[in-house]
Amino acid sequence: MKFTRRSSLALLVGMAIMPVSAMAQQDYPNRPIKIVVPYGAGGTTDISARQMATMAEKILGQPIVVENQPGASGTNAMRTVAAADADGYTLIATTSSPSFVTPALRDVGYDTLSDFIPILNYSGPFHGVVVPADSPYNSLDTLIEGAKSSTVTYGTAGAMGGAHLAFASVAKETGAKLQHVPFDGAAKATAAVLGGHVNAALVPAYRDLVKDGQLRLLGVLDGTKDPDFPDAPTLKEAGLAAEFPSIVGILAPAGTDPTIIAMLESAFTEVASSDDFKTFMTELSQPVRIMSGEELAKTIEENLNAYREIAKDLGN
Amino acid sequence: MLIDAFVELLNLWVLVAALAGIVSGIIIGAIPGLGPTMAIALLIPVTFSMEPIPAIVLLLGVYQGAIFGGSISAVLLNVPGTPSSAATAIDGFAMARRGEGGRALRLALYASVFGNIFSCLVLMALAEPLARFALDFGPAEMAMLMLFALLVIVLFGGGSKLDALIMVLVGACAGVVGLDPISGTPRYTFDSFAFENGFQLIPVLIGLFAMSEVLLQAFDSEPLVGDAEVPPLKSSVVRFAELWQMRVTLLLSSTIGTFVGILPGIGSTVPAFMSYNLARSRATDADQFGKGAPEGVAAPEAANNAVTGGALVPTLALGIPGDAVTAVILGAFMLHGLAPGPFLFRDHGLEVYAIFEALLLSSIPTVILGLLFFRIAIHVTRIQPRHLLPAIAILAIFGAFSVNNILFDVWVMLGAGVLGFLFRRSNFPLPPLLIGLILGAPFEQSLRQALLTSGGGYDIFVESPITIGLVALIFLSLAISLTLDLRKARA
Repeated sequence: MKFTRRSSLALLVGMAIMPVSAMAQQDYPNRPIKIVVPYGAGGTTDISARQMATMAEKILGQPIVVENQPGASGTNAMRTVAAADADGYTLIATTSSPSFVTPALRDVGYDTLSDFIPILNYSGPFHGVVVPADSPYNSLDTLIEGAKSSTVTYGTAGAMGGAHLAFASVAKETGAKLQHVPFDGAAKATAAVLGGHVNAALVPAYRDLVKDGQLRLLGVLDGTKDPDFPDAPTLKEAGLAAEFPSIVGILAPAGTDPTIIAMLESAFTEVASSDDFKTFMTELSQPVRIMSGEELAKTIEENLNAYREIAKDLGN
Repeated sequence: MLIDAFVELLNLWVLVAALAGIVSGIIIGAIPGLGPTMAIALLIPVTFSMEPIPAIVLLLGVYQGAIFGGSISAVLLNVPGTPSSAATAIDGFAMARRGEGGRALRLALYASVFGNIFSCLVLMALAEPLARFALDFGPAEMAMLMLFALLVIVLFGGGSKLDALIMVLVGACAGVVGLDPISGTPRYTFDSFAFENGFQLIPVLIGLFAMSEVLLQAFDSEPLVGDAEVPPLKSSVVRFAELWQMRVTLLLSSTIGTFVGILPGIGSTVPAFMSYNLARSRATDADQFGKGAPEGVAAPEAANNAVTGGALVPTLALGIPGDAVTAVILGAFMLHGLAPGPFLFRDHGLEVYAIFEALLLSSIPTVILGLLFFRIAIHVTRIQPRHLLPAIAILAIFGAFSVNNILFDVWVMLGAGVLGFLFRRSNFPLPPLLIGLILGAPFEQSLRQALLTSGGGYDIFVESPITIGLVALIFLSLAISLTLDLRKARA
């Protein structure tokens, strides 16, 4: 065989590609892993994902880089990762909204169930139903009863978010006149309830304001109670058939090798259950809520279906 | 708090950021035709990976440097880098032709620093109380405030009111693209996922202010600066006594700059000319103005530097930027997780006070670098912008991409660049477009939020003392504008 420039180049390229495809599972990871965060740098999802990455680097032996791809309530980043190579080198740290809320409402260009494999859930801020401290409502019951006679306005972090949909189904079920007022982010919704411009707000990060006596916590939208406020019931405990579970988890593109998924799950779980991580998250005012990949998949599926029903009722 | 914040500044990176910002600002500003807004828009992406404090310090340094740099080309070449230094050029260039260019520049430098320190102190005094007051600003109050801001830029932004109105509307319409803020459904997205996010501020900014400049100069056969001889610089000193004689002028000009700056939307050109005219009317030797009066240099420089501090007050307390530059800085704040509003001082008080102190203290390196640089800067003013255009174009593309790491933003930037080029070529002002884009969408959202809470009743806009006050201001400014027009028509 005569070695021309072209054939030797082909040989070189072949040699370069072959080991990658053949040995992908055996020596994973052999290059930096990328975790995409669907929100801007500096937010809680970003900060916690960066901490997760820094701590998991030591276990996996390769650098983990966090890349922010904000915009379109996280769906841009989800679409990018859904289309990425399923080689375990591109992952996403995502939340409830792009995983099961927005996809239930409209075509987002990906299907969370068939395009992703959940690896684990490690956090999820509790969303509270809060009212100003001088509000006449002191329980979910009185709020709903009050809303039956006169309209009660409530602010959320944005239109068609999980909190809005949860309360929309409460309104439908109870016949209460709950008027949604969407804000541009949870901070603005919190400011609006503090200033008395809306009667209530469904927001995360209420802890300090409630402890400070500026806001009153009537209940939480999650499936479980906030350990900091054991007196605040979940919506279900208050007799309302709605919930908005909040997740922060890591997903990989569908088709990723199961051995790689298992390796990542054990590494990230080890980090999430460590004391160091818990201390870090407490400082960030975020809970650590660990779920296995399987449980997370189930949560996403259940909620995706539930939200599709709610969206149908809302006429979308 | 003030001491803790100061400790935050004792960091090598903060110093490096401040120095790098001021130096690059002076250089960019000194190049005829390149101004502070463009400099900041181009450098925002460079700060992405930095900590918030050095990032903002860098950008504010660029701004301060560029304003001073702009007065270099205004004084020595009669080519103002920004419209706001046009007032400086009147007497500055006259002084330079007399051979007093060095003196004019020193005066401009000291006056700028005075204006900056004055407005920064006002900012520190007012921003936090106003931010606390911000909880009282509900949707109805915000809607009226933004309406007032949009009105002010149309009525008092200088130039043709119709031009400004058209530009504000173009900006507001561009802000409609994306998800409807109330119902969450896509609008004008042409079934494209990329459009759902709307037009992002930073790519639009870079396109409007940097890319359009590249196109403008590329299509302009006439070079901005010919081979005109730069007047010789005699070495000179400005004594403290001279500044002391100008104290009233400096104080009045800084006050005008700061408080006009607080009014959203006006920018720095109007206060610069206002204080120039005031200084002339107060002067005993008014006939010297226009022929090289030192106070004619000091007054507009003090005023246009004082605008920044003033404009940052509503920007940080309420999220409503006062002019194009603070709009860019607002974008930088948000990017670094410092969201303006009632919680800014509670959650990020340390960072914000560190930034205030940095703004105050950066006057020291600005003076030192300014004095060191203006001999070198004379050479910089001879740089033909066309030699820098390729670099600016590449930085613009890189910057637009790096905001969200998506290519769509690059197309948005290029589109904004072409549009900005066409508008500038036909003499439409760009700042109203930017303010329209920034305030259009939140105005719509606040308006609709207010109507949702009131159950559709418009009385919510005249219910609280704040809204009544704002509605009164709206009518007052309409009346003032009308009276001015009538008086002008009669004269």
